[in-house]
Amino acid sequence: MSEERQFESIEDVELALRAQSYLPERGLATALFVSLAIGKPLLLEGEAGVGKTEAAKALANALGARLIRLQCYEGLDVAHAVYEWNYARQLLHIRAAQEGSVSEQELFGPEFLIRRPLLEAIGSSDPVVLLIDEIDRADEEFEAFLLEVLSDFQITIPEIGTIRAERRPLVILTSNRTRELHDALKRRCLFHWISHPALEREIEIVRMRVPGVSERLATQAAAFVAGLRELDLVKAPGVAETIDWTDALTALGCGDLDPETVQQTLGAVLKYREDLDTVQGETVSELIRHARAVGSAAPP
Amino acid sequence: MSEAFTRQVVTFGRVLREAGLEVGAGRLADAINGLDQVGLGRQEDVYWTLRTTLVARREEIESFDRAFQAWFLRTPLVPPPRVPDPRETRPGAQRVRRDAQLHSDPPASGSEPESIGYSAHEVLRRKDFAAMSEDESAALARLIAQIDGQRPRRRSRRLQPHPRGSTLDMRRLARSTLATGGDAVHRRFRRRTQAPRQLVVLCDVSGSMEAYSRAMLLYLHALMRSGGGVEVFAFGTRLTRITTELATRDPEAALRAAADRVVDWAAGTRIGASLKAFNDVWGRRALSRGAVVLIVSDGWERGDNALLGREMQRLHRAAFAVVWVSPLKGSDRYEPLAGGMRAALPYVDRFVAGHDLASLEALAELLSGLGRRHAA
Repeated sequence: MSEERQFESIEDVELALRAQSYLPERGLATALFVSLAIGKPLLLEGEAGVGKTEAAKALANALGARLIRLQCYEGLDVAHAVYEWNYARQLLHIRAAQEGSVSEQELFGPEFLIRRPLLEAIGSSDPVVLLIDEIDRADEEFEAFLLEVLSDFQITIPEIGTIRAERRPLVILTSNRTRELHDALKRRCLFHWISHPALEREIEIVRMRVPGVSERLATQAAAFVAGLRELDLVKAPGVAETIDWTDALTALGCGDLDPETVQQTLGAVLKYREDLDTVQGETVSELIRHARAVGSAAPP
Repeated sequence: MSEAFTRQVVTFGRVLREAGLEVGAGRLADAINGLDQVGLGRQEDVYWTLRTTLVARREEIESFDRAFQAWFLRTPLVPPPRVPDPRETRPGAQRVRRDAQLHSDPPASGSEPESIGYSAHEVLRRKDFAAMSEDESAALARLIAQIDGQRPRRRSRRLQPHPRGSTLDMRRLARSTLATGGDAVHRRFRRRTQAPRQLVVLCDVSGSMEAYSRAMLLYLHALMRSGGGVEVFAFGTRLTRITTELATRDPEAALRAAADRVVDWAAGTRIGASLKAFNDVWGRRALSRGAVVLIVSDGWERGDNALLGREMQRLHRAAFAVVWVSPLKGSDRYEPLAGGMRAALPYVDRFVAGHDLASLEALAELLSGLGRRHAA
């Protein structure tokens, strides 16, 4: 883990994330900078695979902060998100003290507390980036609970008392929009929509993430995927897919896109059979022609 | 930041509110604080800072962009691309007829809904929705509201205290053993609860379906009071989400609004295209995953039957069960021979009637016990 640091400007954020092999667009860098500067959580939305979770990870590394991640799912409750008592230990403790009586205060003290991600993040004295991933998967009861945590940055445990954040963690929430979030939660957050990157940036991302890829192949792959996004697909591929695919192409020793290799590896980009059916024959040749034209100037 | 600029931002907030964004004092304060940190040196940074603080959802980005252009860049406001209003292109006759119905005086004779006796009720139960008079429709609304709003259920992952549960409730157990010095005298359990299964309704509101969709929406309006997790869409030539209207307002008004928006009276019903719109936008957000999907339509497809089949297949794969409600199914002689219905049927788990009150009651019962798929 690197030294703890702070950002002076948006350029600072850009450079620091770049050093973590994450290329943010200016808008995302601004959103992160403002979020840090005014101490408000940031809600990131975008299609699957545009790098929402990656952004939080890269930022934590860049800040030299600890990343605490809470993966949301339906039915997520306080016992799994905030704290739980160590019941086995409590029972042993009661047993061991057979003769003398055990007071309730003793039994519900900090040593019997199991800290889950939210409490861990609030109670930490080190810098923390708290990633609340896929908040839309949690149910509304949990969302309501989260509201309280995000507005006051404090957690109340009935048996112990209220724990306040010594230093506010940077909170990043991500959502895939499987459902609309509550307005009250949105009000407490800044918002940023991550869209698919522009071609130039995607080429840069691919070259950064796939070691040993030629500029030409990276360009062709990015152009090909950009072309795919124009088609009417069930699931348009994200940057994550472009990276996976280029990785596969590089592993196969591919120098220029050709129909055969593309057909063999397209499963890394398109994850639905309908989409694989759509992208066939003439469509593939057309996309390859286009991709090769874009990549013609790039060195192999 | 200069006071002048602060005032600029505040006024900009007002512009955004007029454009329909929810910009409260809190968001404005964030914007001003944010700009303080970012500085006003680069137009791009000002744009992103205002956007990240003042916009709360993706749909607002476009309005925001136009307001930003107009306010800060002083470019003349270009009116948004006009979506042709179906009301203007539709033959005026339709409207007049409906308005006339709305304002017609109630008949003088004592046919108040309350006065409908048992046998009249029985008659009404079996009467085709399309053949009902004004008064009967009014009585129908009350009867529909009485249908038991049971929903299909699924196991939730949440645990609740339950005497016959299978998971030990350690929290309560530890606390109760305090009194007995570590001996668990009473064992406490928790078990998984049941939650209502997501219900997605796609309702055909084209001309031929008008009477039936009205009854169905009245029923759904009642059902929505049974809890969240009901999503309703109306379609004709286009698809629109009417959940919000149906949840808050008068269901009849919601139906009229939906019909105005989605029905192009000349073009007929495009079920396949509407399903595609649903799958592309809402299906992709996993709304239909594990849900019970209810399609209310007579299956008269004016578009491409192959497309309808394809989209039904997609829908069917994501859903827990697909129920197709057709008013035509009520007739004994009906056979689903029309191309659209034939293409859709392989992907329908239950194919039921929906032409009278009795069939709605049967549907309610079907929904409450829908446990297994593929039993059409």
